Amino acid sequence: MPESPEEHHESEQPLDEYELRLGAALRLAGDAYDADRHALVTGGTTRGRRMRMRRRAAVVAGAAGVALAGVSGALLVPWHGGSGPASAAASVGAAPRTAHATASPAPVTGAAMVRTLEKLLPKGTFAHVGSRGSDEEPTGFPYATVVYDDGKGAAGISVSLNRVVPGGTDARQAVTCPDKVAIPYDACTSRRLADGSVVMVFQGYEYPDRRVDTKRWTADLVTPTGQHVSVSEWNAAQEKDSPVTRSQPPLSAAQLTDFVAARAWRPLADAVPEDPHQAAEPAPESGGAPIVGTLAALLPKGVHVVTRSRKSEDDAGSYAYVVVDDGKGRSLVQINVQPDMSDVAGDLFGSGDETLADGTRVAQHQGPGDKGVAGVVMWTVDTLRTDGRRVVVSAFNSGTQHDAATRAAPALTMQQLRAIALSPQWLSAG
Amino acid sequence: MRQEHADEYAEFASARAGHLYRSACLLAAGDTHLAEDLVQETLGRLYVRWARVSRVGNPAGYAQTVLTRTFLAHQRRRSSTERATDVFPDLPAADGSDGGDSALLRLTLLDALGRLPPKDRAVVVLRYWEDRSIAQTADVLDASSAAVRTRCVRALARLRELLGEELGAYARP
Repeated sequence: MPESPEEHHESEQPLDEYELRLGAALRLAGDAYDADRHALVTGGTTRGRRMRMRRRAAVVAGAAGVALAGVSGALLVPWHGGSGPASAAASVGAAPRTAHATASPAPVTGAAMVRTLEKLLPKGTFAHVGSRGSDEEPTGFPYATVVYDDGKGAAGISVSLNRVVPGGTDARQAVTCPDKVAIPYDACTSRRLADGSVVMVFQGYEYPDRRVDTKRWTADLVTPTGQHVSVSEWNAAQEKDSPVTRSQPPLSAAQLTDFVAARAWRPLADAVPEDPHQAAEPAPESGGAPIVGTLAALLPKGVHVVTRSRKSEDDAGSYAYVVVDDGKGRSLVQINVQPDMSDVAGDLFGSGDETLADGTRVAQHQGPGDKGVAGVVMWTVDTLRTDGRRVVVSAFNSGTQHDAATRAAPALTMQQLRAIALSPQWLSAG
Repeated sequence: MRQEHADEYAEFASARAGHLYRSACLLAAGDTHLAEDLVQETLGRLYVRWARVSRVGNPAGYAQTVLTRTFLAHQRRRSSTERATDVFPDLPAADGSDGGDSALLRLTLLDALGRLPPKDRAVVVLRYWEDRSIAQTADVLDASSAAVRTRCVRALARLRELLGEELGAYARP
């Protein structure tokens, strides 16, 4: 690499005029690109799930026969032994794109998604926002987004289709109401329909902290064969950065249920390529006692457990919480027990943090809560054993992370949090 | 992923996807398919590591770093580092206010970016689009500040050569 006179300037130089013009030019060029955020987020989340599954599947099953290539992972291997040979092909982001399908139903087009969406909505006007078919690059779920107006104000409505393994984690999570400790909402119901499908209707907010009062109502339906239909509607023309146009989104809870339960979605959902990584999903890893039980047992005397996390929140046996009350107000105490975290030790522990005689690293933090709620504090003791097992316990001076403080300090002292995090009980957990 | 993290991640991804996509379009020199792919891969990696990412602070900066590194890893896998001459950048659809001159200038700029080696392009995007300092750019690229300066000087010289005085038109008020 050629030496340059610039090499010898150690401090930052102000930008010269050409550099400033280049910055302006890049902004002009860059700002002109408009993202289809829904597709990007959906696609990103899908990849993330697959990466996780791949990792877990690798741990449990070892090299399990299906070779993976590339990052998009449009793998088209039937779950239930289709007619084609058990070959797998992946589409890779780089050109040339190749995707060889084995026994796959006819793809669904973005236009078909929009048509079906519009047909199932009550009379009104529609503006097309975006859509994607099942066979379009980059690989993603088919979806359609429209701005719908029933005469009472424009509202964004978005529907997407997926297939999940019946009875699997994704199927379960899609129709399980979130815990109110984690996210505030007005209503959520989950129930089984006559045909065995399970539908969850969620009525909450676009921004969990409600800095803007955009309502987000969703319905998710999973059929016994794993077709997953998801619809979201807002009381604004777009999900984000768009003014509220009406007091409520257009479809009621009952209408949302009818919408996702419509038979018209089923054949379209069948066009979504099956994902063998989901099929390779191992049984939940939490073989031992649920973490929440251990956490509750380790609490000091005198604090009363008001609520505790349900098993569904117990992400692979790694997370749990209790809300306690010592008579002075509610206090959320949460814990993560995570194996194989040595790789991020540098992110978690600094040179000033403590190392115990057995090599366990300990960091203690007392600061504001991580949701930005004024007055809420979060006290944390973070520990990392030499085998890579991380146990991090946090306590708040509020019963949730998003509500106002209920007391001056959390119900547990730093010393008590430390005792919980360092308990030998965790050595056998998870 | 537990629900609370899933919601945080979803909110973050939705809020940042637009900016990441625009950065990716510049890194990809106008190849919007590649840009979408890079953003989805970036969001996927964030999803997997969200519990950690959200704890170590500045997830937006972290996302930009992941995007840049994903782009460079992708480029390393490709045999050629220069855009094939018959491939043109995908330009965003022109709206009414967007005269043909402006579109042509964007095309020229994207084409010039496409002629820079990937690492030089990453330096240009980080320095002049992301407004990162030399030191911050060096961190993202896992390079020394001196190496970043060298790339910067070289990239600017190449852009001057390719764009000539046309760049001046961008700075018009």
